[in-house]
Amino acid sequence: MQVIKGFLILLLFLLSGDVLVTLLNLPISAGVAGMLLITLWFMLRGRMQEDVALASQPLIAVLAMLIMPGVVGVFFVAGRYADQWLAFVAALVVGTFLSVLTTLILMSRFTPKESVKDKDRSC
Amino acid sequence: MLDSLLTLPNHLFETPIAAIALTLLAFFAGNQVFQWIGRPSWCPGILIAALIVVLTLVLLSVNYEVYQQGAAWLVLLLGPATVALGIPLYQQMHHIRALWKPILFTLPPAAILAAVYSVLLAWLAGATPEVMASLAPKSVTAPIAISITEQLGGSIPVLMGGLLITGVMATFWVSVLVKILNIQDHRVIGFALGINGHAIGTVRAFELSPTAGAFSSLGMGLTAVFTALFLPIAWRLVF
Repeated sequence: MQVIKGFLILLLFLLSGDVLVTLLNLPISAGVAGMLLITLWFMLRGRMQEDVALASQPLIAVLAMLIMPGVVGVFFVAGRYADQWLAFVAALVVGTFLSVLTTLILMSRFTPKESVKDKDRSC
Repeated sequence: MLDSLLTLPNHLFETPIAAIALTLLAFFAGNQVFQWIGRPSWCPGILIAALIVVLTLVLLSVNYEVYQQGAAWLVLLLGPATVALGIPLYQQMHHIRALWKPILFTLPPAAILAAVYSVLLAWLAGATPEVMASLAPKSVTAPIAISITEQLGGSIPVLMGGLLITGVMATFWVSVLVKILNIQDHRVIGFALGINGHAIGTVRAFELSPTAGAFSSLGMGLTAVFTALFLPIAWRLVF
């Protein structure tokens, strides 16, 4: 019963997200808006609700299954995009190389050293 | 008898039940095969499951569109499942509070550049607007990437292909570049895996260490939230 109640709360936040993006004409999706609303709700309350957590666990566990039908489509539409293979290689191989390089450099630059924290502790 | 046997698959797929059962079956079978072959990072379990569905559809000569319409009943759960991602996001909040400064300086530029690099390179290589819209959210975790690409007018199958390749490529490039740049901080490595390689990178991060895994989940979640807010707005301004 708790799981169903938790599921209902998820649906209500999804619908609230839909109301918000429709009324404000936001370009984000109802699901993302609902996710942000529920996170905000937990932050305001200072804790999570047990029933929502119970309903969320199985849903998150089967996320891969929910997106799998989309992956099936790749094999049926691939032929249609064969003439754009260079764009895919450029964006996916070169683009990912560049973004990984950027992230590593930025992150190394701005993350406080772990050793500094250790030194502080020893003082 | 033989006639009715030949038309049986298409009869079964008249209701969504067969498509849903096939999806569940392929999901479990794909996971099993994935365990057998030693959980390789270059071939996610979801790809094996998808191949099982493809082979079944081809063998039974059932149209992809027919399968897709049936499976849509299951995919409908993606909405509440996306809302459910707020729970792990809330649980990560203490990491975000503790490291808000490096996160603020790295995450927005990294997430913006991940999208800009891919769109720009695809555009230079002569991609159509539909393909660019499908590749723009390529570093975002699938449930949220799907909703972003719908906003931009991309194709979900193209996006899914791009997501899988991006996850595998991000894992590969992180392992190469970490050696070249001599980076040993598992917080940095984990964060880079999550920002660029979404769930596939996060699986790799958890193999490295729990710290890398936690930072990868954090990077993945924040990239998804940030990109979901910034990309559709930026897209509206540019196109």
